[in-house]
Amino acid sequence: MWYQVKQALDQSTRLFLTRLANLLPGIVALIVALLVALVLAAIIAVVVRRLLVRMNFDERLVQWGFASVFLWSPMKSPALLVARVLAALVIFCGFLIGVAAFDPDLTSLLARTVFAYIPNIVGALIVLAAGSIIARFLARSVLIGAVNMNFQYGRLLSVGVKWLVIVLTVAMALEHLRISAGIVELAFGIMFGGVVLVFALIIGLNSKELLAKSLERDGKKTSPETVEDPLRHL
Amino acid sequence: MNGSEMQTEPVAPPVPEKAEKAEQAESADFVIGILSDLPPQSITQLCGALRTIPGAPKILILAAQAVGDSVRNEVGGNSSSVSIASWPPLGADVAAGPLQSISAAYHSAFSIGERLGARACCVIASQVAIDPPRWVSEFAQPLLESQCDLVVPSYGHQKFQGLLNSGIMCPLTRSLYGKRIQNPLGPDLGVSQKLFQKITASNRASRNDAAITHPLISLTPAAACENLRISQAYFGSRTYPPPDWTNTSSILVQALGPVFLEMEKRAPCWQRVRGSVSIPAAGPRVAVSGDEATPDVARMIESFQLGVRDLQEIWGLVLPPATLLELRKLARLEAQQFRMGDELWARIVYDFALAHRLRTINRDHLLRSMAPLYLAWVASYANEVKTAGSAAVDQRLERLCLAYETTKAYLVSRWRWPDRFNP
Repeated sequence: MWYQVKQALDQSTRLFLTRLANLLPGIVALIVALLVALVLAAIIAVVVRRLLVRMNFDERLVQWGFASVFLWSPMKSPALLVARVLAALVIFCGFLIGVAAFDPDLTSLLARTVFAYIPNIVGALIVLAAGSIIARFLARSVLIGAVNMNFQYGRLLSVGVKWLVIVLTVAMALEHLRISAGIVELAFGIMFGGVVLVFALIIGLNSKELLAKSLERDGKKTSPETVEDPLRHL
Repeated sequence: MNGSEMQTEPVAPPVPEKAEKAEQAESADFVIGILSDLPPQSITQLCGALRTIPGAPKILILAAQAVGDSVRNEVGGNSSSVSIASWPPLGADVAAGPLQSISAAYHSAFSIGERLGARACCVIASQVAIDPPRWVSEFAQPLLESQCDLVVPSYGHQKFQGLLNSGIMCPLTRSLYGKRIQNPLGPDLGVSQKLFQKITASNRASRNDAAITHPLISLTPAAACENLRISQAYFGSRTYPPPDWTNTSSILVQALGPVFLEMEKRAPCWQRVRGSVSIPAAGPRVAVSGDEATPDVARMIESFQLGVRDLQEIWGLVLPPATLLELRKLARLEAQQFRMGDELWARIVYDFALAHRLRTINRDHLLRSMAPLYLAWVASYANEVKTAGSAAVDQRLERLCLAYETTKAYLVSRWRWPDRFNP
């Protein structure tokens, strides 16, 4: 009896140690691949950043009209953002190489799935970026317009517009990523409805002064001379 | 011969004759484009005064078809040295905005003047009561006799009229280009052949629409930077329609945008200029008296306070922290004590010009977000000159111009090193 127990223990220990011994090179390979990728990523990040700084990338970006990228960038430097994104890509590649050391079949399947998913990720990122730019632009337009019309709730209106566009964008991006489509649709419907309700409340609160201003303006427009004309101030 | 004599002159029998087209004219020494709603009687008087110019130069007046026909009937056709042609300014798109339509009118007058070999061109665009003999001697003759290349107008107006000019355009032009011009943007400017040829040549050389020169904005900077002779003439008492203070942002976009673009274009020139000099001025400016409604200061201050509360995020991208702090302090003042310092205002205008150049935010947003600040300046000015006479108002505006000049070093530093110099 004890002999059989000992046999079973020996067998399971040997099996565990054999499997561990089989796995160990893979783990070491993963660690080495990650370390090499980290070093490579650091070098690439430094080189790319210096190159971009030398090219005045940040200033050029402003000249090309992408000043808003500064707000999302670490330390308000788009050059640093580009360098860090490249470094992250190199580390991710190193991780995939390391995983390949365990089981080439598994990795190839994983790689195939990842690569098949990349167009969706890129599409979602583009939708998110465009949505973010549009949301910021519309929010600023509404805020400035509301302040110039002396609306007390202009900021709320602006935030409402911003979130309306962002909610729509995020829902579109998640739809693109094929993540819980049903839940996303439902959540989007609820949130969109909520934002529209907030809008209705804000417009309701502003309607009194809006009406007063509109009547006042109509009252002033007694002759065609009061048509918008910057020359009258010059 | 003066205006009253012109009225008593026997007029020719009305002849139902159509005004000739500008394209049909063969030559002219002086081209005058009339864009404003001058009554036919005033144009008739102007024709009479123009005939008195020594040497009888050939003068072509471009006016609207109906006005042209009426004047021709009164003065008896185009047989004399002064002829009238109908003038729908080419490309004048009123829907694009008044500044754009007046720009098209200037371009049209310049191209007609160039084709006819005119020695000078001018456009009358504002609602102004002209004294024809005085206008001819102080405005037209210096151009025809090659005594100057640009004649800029000065107007008689009340203290709360033309404030965009008094608060921004005039002091900004003075500090940038070093010439003390009261109305650098006219809109009634007289231009010599030398200057209008430069403008048309630069437009022909421009490949894209954005680079096309806006005559009303470019004439004064071009003349100042090219060291051409500029003089100032009193144009008359100008009628301004009542301003709509609730819609200032659109006016700022239309008027300030081209000015800031021109500023960017002429940066190498104005960075070398220090101080300012006065220019030859013909005739004193006549102060206009009469009751004038004071702007609604409380509402302007309310708009500014709302801006301080809600536009911090946008102003923070444009203005340095010290200016933002001063604005926050200003927003806490009572309406009676509300005063915006001249140097603060000058720095704000310079910072917006810089942000326009750097495209810190969308340019339309930038200029629209300046409206509450402009209203704050108007409120402050209104508080200061509420009971002041015309001499005190002139002194007040002179102090503002000097503040722009003394603050120019700040602009030059920020313009050259926008990231490094950010107090």
